[in-house]
Amino acid sequence: RLTQVRWSRYNPSFIEPEVNKELYRKPWEELSEEEKKKLELKAVQPIKAAPPSVSSSVFSDPMVSKFTNMMMKGGNKVLARSLMSQTLEAIKRKQLEKYHKAPEDEKETIECNPYVIFHQALKNCQPIIGLSSITKGGKTYQVPVPLKDNRKRFLAMKWLITQCRENKSRRMLMPEKLSLELLQAFNNEGPIIKKKHTLHKMAEANRAYAHFRWW
Amino acid sequence: TLRLIYTTTAVQRKNVGASGPEKYTEEFIKKQIEEFNLGKRHLANMMGEDPETFTQEDIDRAIAYLFPSGLFDRQARPMMKHPTAIFPEQRKIQWGEDGRPFHFLFYTGKQSYYSLMHETYEKLLNAQKYQDQLTAQDLPPQKEKRNLAGSRWLTKIELEEMLLEKLSDDDYSRFIQLLQKLMTLPCGDIEEKYIQKFTKEVPVQLEKAVTEPLKYDERGVAFSTGEGTRKTSRATAVVYDNGTGKITVNGIDVLHYFPVLQDREQLLFPFQFLDRVGKHDMVCTVSGGGRSSQAGAIRLASAKALRSFVTEKEVEFMRQAGLLTVDPRVRERKKPGQEGARRKFTWKKR
Repeated sequence: RLTQVRWSRYNPSFIEPEVNKELYRKPWEELSEEEKKKLELKAVQPIKAAPPSVSSSVFSDPMVSKFTNMMMKGGNKVLARSLMSQTLEAIKRKQLEKYHKAPEDEKETIECNPYVIFHQALKNCQPIIGLSSITKGGKTYQVPVPLKDNRKRFLAMKWLITQCRENKSRRMLMPEKLSLELLQAFNNEGPIIKKKHTLHKMAEANRAYAHFRWW
Repeated sequence: TLRLIYTTTAVQRKNVGASGPEKYTEEFIKKQIEEFNLGKRHLANMMGEDPETFTQEDIDRAIAYLFPSGLFDRQARPMMKHPTAIFPEQRKIQWGEDGRPFHFLFYTGKQSYYSLMHETYEKLLNAQKYQDQLTAQDLPPQKEKRNLAGSRWLTKIELEEMLLEKLSDDDYSRFIQLLQKLMTLPCGDIEEKYIQKFTKEVPVQLEKAVTEPLKYDERGVAFSTGEGTRKTSRATAVVYDNGTGKITVNGIDVLHYFPVLQDREQLLFPFQFLDRVGKHDMVCTVSGGGRSSQAGAIRLASAKALRSFVTEKEVEFMRQAGLLTVDPRVRERKKPGQEGARRKFTWKKR
């Protein structure tokens, strides 16, 4: 191919913007040598515009926006975002119910913050090792392969969404089902954790072919 | 034995494309320069200007006046430029009358590139010898802080123009690696000058936009304006000081105009970044585009307006957060033979 397919309207010299306010609040003296050098370099380089889904407020979270984008169908961001907020609300409600019913000593262990639950659930769903099909001598083998961070996050989110879309009873809405799945994943139970464990077992079973990997 | 088969003149004619671009002789270029100078004086006489002080811009204006053309392509319009700008620089013949080449690396094919690599490596060896001498005399190595941020290396095209030779990406990267290695050593002034030949100055202050001073309206309240665009939307924002944080868009309140939370978040982004959420009032007008692009346009406009209220450092922080750059992404056109910009038609086997 002579022309590249994945081109962008920006010049390749442009750099991603840094939206986090805390990094800009630090005074000059507290920065380390490396950070000072980086700042000097950044002062010369042009920077891309911040995308519309990103904001510096406390409410915008990169993981949550990534998840909403994956849930979105046909470009309907409004619907996806409302579903996401309803899910987080449902999680909070369920946790608060549990909190008020529980006895005094268990009250501290119950986590009420839906963002913390979301992050922890995704972390619990991430597989450590994945399988990749490699053809050698005519036969295709499933070789266990270490996964990159991006790939792990993507797989966790993808499993969550497909599970919610297929395995629900009639008349059960997405936010309810999602909140159920997230709470189950937070407690290390549920079908997605099972899927992760089956993947790990398959990888362990195919350990013999691990030497086929060349990267 | 060989027999001469009947051939036509067409076959005997040399392949036109194989000889490469036209080669201009030195006398030809000199004649072109003389003709250009004479023509410049004639043109100055025609236009009634002084022939001695007739610059290239005057020539361009005169030609555009005398030969108006409606062609879109600027290279296709009639132009009169100095011959060195029109005829690309070419190398003179590299061998003498007896056929023996002048340069000792001629038979490598890329003589100037390899001679350059040899020179750079010589400088590197000199720097290492200097460093060894210093350590032998137990003197500390000199650490001069070179301004890394203000300069960049020459690009491949610029290097090709300098050497008058085609380079490959691999050659270019090897050369840059050598130069970087030379730079990391504690080298003295000699190598500085040599390296400067291959660097270009980058303007350190990327703030080409001048921050305008605050304006004051009848009530004495400070305000400033800003304009922003995104896709097809055009927005103008007026940010007033001593306000409560009310935002009006096209005469309508922001809650009614942007029912979606994401758009309102975008409008408040510059204020929230500078911790001035409830301190400013905003009145904006926006037209064109859809709901998200209008929000992005107003965000740009308000960020530009806020520059006059804020210190220089905070303006730099805003720029690094991506609030002050115009988003160049536009809708990609649909191509023929495809269903959309990227989507192809369904592939059917038969």
